[in-house]
Amino acid sequence: MKRLLALMLAVVMITAAVLTGCGSGSAAPAGGEGLKVGFIYIGTPGDVGYTFAHDQGRIYLEEQLKDKGVTTAKVESVPETADSEKAIKNLIDQGCKVIFATSFGYMDFVEKVAKEYPDVKFFHCSGNKSNGTNFVNYFGKIEQARYLTGIVAGLKTKSGKIGYVAAMQIPEVIRGIDAFTLGVRSVNPTAVVNVKWTNTWYDPQLEKSAAEALLNEGNDVIAQHQDSTAPQIAAQEKGAFAIGYNSDSSKAAPKAYLTAPVWNWGVYYVDQVQKILDGSWKAENYLGGMHEGVVDIGPMTDLVDADIKAKVEEVKAKILDGSLDVFAGPVKDQTGAVKIAEGATMTVEEQQACKWFVEGVNGKID
Amino acid sequence: MVRIVKRTDLTKRQSVMFRLLAILGALLAAGIFILFLGFNPFRVYLSMLDGSFGSLYRFKESIIQAIPLIVSSLGISIAFRMKFWNIGAEGQIIMGAFAASYFALYWSNLPVYVMLPLMFLASAAAGGIWALIPAFFKAQFGTNETLFTLMMNYIAQKIIVYVQYGPWKDPKALGAGKIALFGDNAALPEVFGIHIGWIITVVLVILVYIFINKTKRGYEIQVIGESENTARYAGMNVKKIILSSLILSGALCGLVGMFQVSGVNHTLSYQVANGVGFTAIITTWLAGLSAPVIVIVCFLFAVLQQGGTFIQTAFSIHSSAAQLIQGMILFFVLGSEFFIQYRLVLKQKTDKLIKKEAA
Amino acid sequence: MRNEVYIKIENLTKTFGPVIANNNVCLEVNRGEIHALLGENGSGKSTLMNMLSGIYTPDSGQIYIKGRQVTFRTPKDSMEMGIGMIHQHFKLVEVMSAKENIIAGQKGRFFVGSAKLSGKIRKISDKYGLAVDPDKKIYNMSVGEKQTVEILKVIYRGAEILILDEPTAVLTPQETEGLFKILRKMKESGSAVIIITHKLNEVMEIADKITVLRKGETVGTVNKEDTNSAELTNLMVGRAVDLSISRIECKDKKTILNIEGLTVVDDEKVKALDNINFKLSAGEILGVAGVAGSGQKELCEAIAGLFPVASGKIEYKGENIVGKNPRDIIKKGISMSFIPEDRLGMGLVASMGMVDNMILKEYQNQKGFMIDKKIARSLSQNLIKKLEINTPGIYHPVRQLSGGNIQKVLLGREIESNPHLLITAYPVRGLDINASYTIYDLLNEQKEKGVGILYIGEDLDVLIELCDRIMVICNGKITGMVDAHKVNKEQLGMMMAGEAMETVMGVGA
Repeated sequence: MKRLLALMLAVVMITAAVLTGCGSGSAAPAGGEGLKVGFIYIGTPGDVGYTFAHDQGRIYLEEQLKDKGVTTAKVESVPETADSEKAIKNLIDQGCKVIFATSFGYMDFVEKVAKEYPDVKFFHCSGNKSNGTNFVNYFGKIEQARYLTGIVAGLKTKSGKIGYVAAMQIPEVIRGIDAFTLGVRSVNPTAVVNVKWTNTWYDPQLEKSAAEALLNEGNDVIAQHQDSTAPQIAAQEKGAFAIGYNSDSSKAAPKAYLTAPVWNWGVYYVDQVQKILDGSWKAENYLGGMHEGVVDIGPMTDLVDADIKAKVEEVKAKILDGSLDVFAGPVKDQTGAVKIAEGATMTVEEQQACKWFVEGVNGKID
Repeated sequence: MVRIVKRTDLTKRQSVMFRLLAILGALLAAGIFILFLGFNPFRVYLSMLDGSFGSLYRFKESIIQAIPLIVSSLGISIAFRMKFWNIGAEGQIIMGAFAASYFALYWSNLPVYVMLPLMFLASAAAGGIWALIPAFFKAQFGTNETLFTLMMNYIAQKIIVYVQYGPWKDPKALGAGKIALFGDNAALPEVFGIHIGWIITVVLVILVYIFINKTKRGYEIQVIGESENTARYAGMNVKKIILSSLILSGALCGLVGMFQVSGVNHTLSYQVANGVGFTAIITTWLAGLSAPVIVIVCFLFAVLQQGGTFIQTAFSIHSSAAQLIQGMILFFVLGSEFFIQYRLVLKQKTDKLIKKEAA
Repeated sequence: MRNEVYIKIENLTKTFGPVIANNNVCLEVNRGEIHALLGENGSGKSTLMNMLSGIYTPDSGQIYIKGRQVTFRTPKDSMEMGIGMIHQHFKLVEVMSAKENIIAGQKGRFFVGSAKLSGKIRKISDKYGLAVDPDKKIYNMSVGEKQTVEILKVIYRGAEILILDEPTAVLTPQETEGLFKILRKMKESGSAVIIITHKLNEVMEIADKITVLRKGETVGTVNKEDTNSAELTNLMVGRAVDLSISRIECKDKKTILNIEGLTVVDDEKVKALDNINFKLSAGEILGVAGVAGSGQKELCEAIAGLFPVASGKIEYKGENIVGKNPRDIIKKGISMSFIPEDRLGMGLVASMGMVDNMILKEYQNQKGFMIDKKIARSLSQNLIKKLEINTPGIYHPVRQLSGGNIQKVLLGREIESNPHLLITAYPVRGLDINASYTIYDLLNEQKEKGVGILYIGEDLDVLIELCDRIMVICNGKITGMVDAHKVNKEQLGMMMAGEAMETVMGVGA
């Protein structure tokens, strides 16, 4: 046995010598002189969804500002618990001076850590808080893109029933459903949008079975506020159509995928980091729209008929030039009561507290 | 061709050697894997150490990871000493956290010196009750405690899922399924930058050691673990001892729940136990149920975990790859336990081996 | 023909770590000979036989079978050379019939015709007088029948050399006689038989030649005609030993235990004890004889409060203790020690040292939360001196002690607790002569002190010599209660097999 041990030691030492020899050339010190930017993700970029979109932004940021010494680090699959606090602290420990926390449930933890590390700048995605010094929230007017995809769904449906697989009962998701439904109803006034909650951002199995349930109830177009492509796959299996979310996922379900509201986070990330480098950064919450390029409707596939495409382009132009506000009144709620009067619209504050469904949504908020 | 033979004659030195060999083998195998990922294994290993010891912050993080493991292992060890296979530490932690959170959330005006002891007691009681239920059914109806305690984990977790998305949902979270952060009066104070749970842990290790080795109840537990018949023969009330010891076992695990919600998370979520209750089964077993050894094993485990988290960001190694490396190391170490107890004999070589052994 | 050498062993040596189990052992067994291998426990008999049957491989030395040098690597090698081993624990499949057990594990015999097989088995049965029903299931068989099946099995597989390891330990005297008849027939037909035992009377009855082992070495081989029990004992032990057990008469005979109509029912709803009635006096040793599993264990446990009593009374010093918990019964001064086949059983905690075992019952009398081991330490040291317990230390796990030492620890503790009633089952199980006599002396010492002793034993000679009265049980019923002076082994044996005392004692008288 001693001989075996000696042999193994020898092998290890030889490999050690060889590897350290060739490894020393590629030494890249963590931290360094430049600015290190840390990201924490709720899922993995492999989801071809929400996290993928953020990670595309991270890669874009690295590409654009590489020359200025910007490096990035990421932690994947961080739950929305105190683990996120730990993940952030680990990133700071490894030299990150800017943190992008990309999921809603991280917000309170980010706020807490921001107090502890005043010299680090914290960006939290999709929330509403800010401390005015080093902690801000950012998000995009994704409802603009959702409105457009609603038009696609409204024109595509034959049964007049559209399914919507939704993650959490938070304003972000709710107003997304509202915008989508308004889009649907703008072209198909009798169609309804049926909502199913999953209480999860990323759980392909659960999301798929929710979509299947909706399909069985006669919905022939499935939309989603989820980070996986599972609802689209479910739609394809039943011969129905699907609207994705976050990024172009046409490859996941080519026979069902129509289009999706998509994010282009890189635009915002580069802008903010550049401002930090310049010293011109200010702690301000951000809400970018299609005009700024942060959100868009993804390329429409061949499954979308030309006349639908033309309609979408027409409305998109109105949004871009500011002549169309998605939430412009009059808007009625589920009971038929007018919630937004003619000539009014939803303020940003109202949007961030939105807890009601528009007329045409078939679903419940607890 | 190959037979498995139980070892009888392994010396202490040999078994230490085996374990070292296993760790070496693990590093080697994981190294090859890391090489395939395109990284330098030595750099990765070094940075794992760096990640768990490299700075005061990282060292503290390692200790914060070790605390719940140690205390759960202590709890599990008491049950395991009686050959009561308590797989339910996870659920006991969760219920402990649940009870502690109740006071933190709904009696939030209590002063800190009332709040913390109350949370402490509540978590111990809840964990104890959660362990008592399967113990009672085993004592009364002979149910299988392994399955029972395992199932209790899921019940506990689903209770938290329910309150997290239902009645305890933070109204300020705009509908997100999360529970509000605790007030400062429900946070464990820090000593040397780590929540005071570490001092309690040290005290608990000593107490459990004394309990098992120096008290009558500890003695009874050891006898029951050896043979229930012997215990009955000696006039012990086996049922009563199992029930009361299981309360203790569960109470220790329940305390872990309080440490986590009050010292680390400052809120409750259904992921509060985060697998600690399962990992602690491994550490308890590796430590041979001994309280002092549990401290060592758990700390090494924490280092492995902390190091794994570190390389994940330092090298952008995917989280599952980092876990895979941890798993490989664990696999080898656990595998070596088999070879410490048994050896494989090739049939043809039988007498050669026997001769060598005798020499 | 008689002098053809079947087995010749030259200078076999076998070590286990630092322990030398066999040191240059020599043995020669002829065709048509019954050869007894005699030695105390731990003298190396089993190691030697295990090397012969291919379970162990010797470190050095040679084995010749019928003049050919052989090396056995597996039991199969040994079997192929015609050696058949009958172990103490039978290796039979309980749910199969005798016939199925005999052919089990045979290569290429799966489709052998049943009739042809039965014929072959019957031929062997007739030849050696092995009376067994080939279609009877093993679980329906008595111990003697099972042993017969084992013998049939090895002969069927072609064994000409039969090795039996302590074959009579589990048999009644009648069954033993049956076994000896079979062995004699085998001898007549030209087989060689090696019988391992430490019972001198059996050796003198059956063996032609006797080889004595002591501490792993051959002390010598003698012809039966040229020797006697005393000489063999000297050879075995290495010094002269007084073989008689003294029986002390105690005058003060106050009833200490009175059992009336005791019935207990086991898990299978069978009456393990059926209407047991007896009295035991202070200063008396009451022996219990019976085939293993006749209710001995249940009797011990019922008195100790460990087995539920279905009906009846157990009066201890005039008080009915049925329903009391074991702790209270211990406190009243009743000590029970049962040595099961694996010896450790429930009296001791195997992984603990002597100290922790000493406090097994005593700790409950300690006050407070903590445990005090001071007294236990000095008690352990005293016992080691008094009973010559051989242990590396008082903290050394008792599991690792030899059987005799384990039993001394157990009995020593029970006696040190100063009981008024001492129940002891098989206290000399597997012990060598010296150790056994130490135990008998201990029991007599207690008897003199006025302790009432219930002694459950296997060796009928010992029961007759040691006890005042002997109670015989069979299938949970008392079949006899006799004065130990006035009974012989045969009579006890018949009662053990279920004959009523009146018939047996009538025949005997």
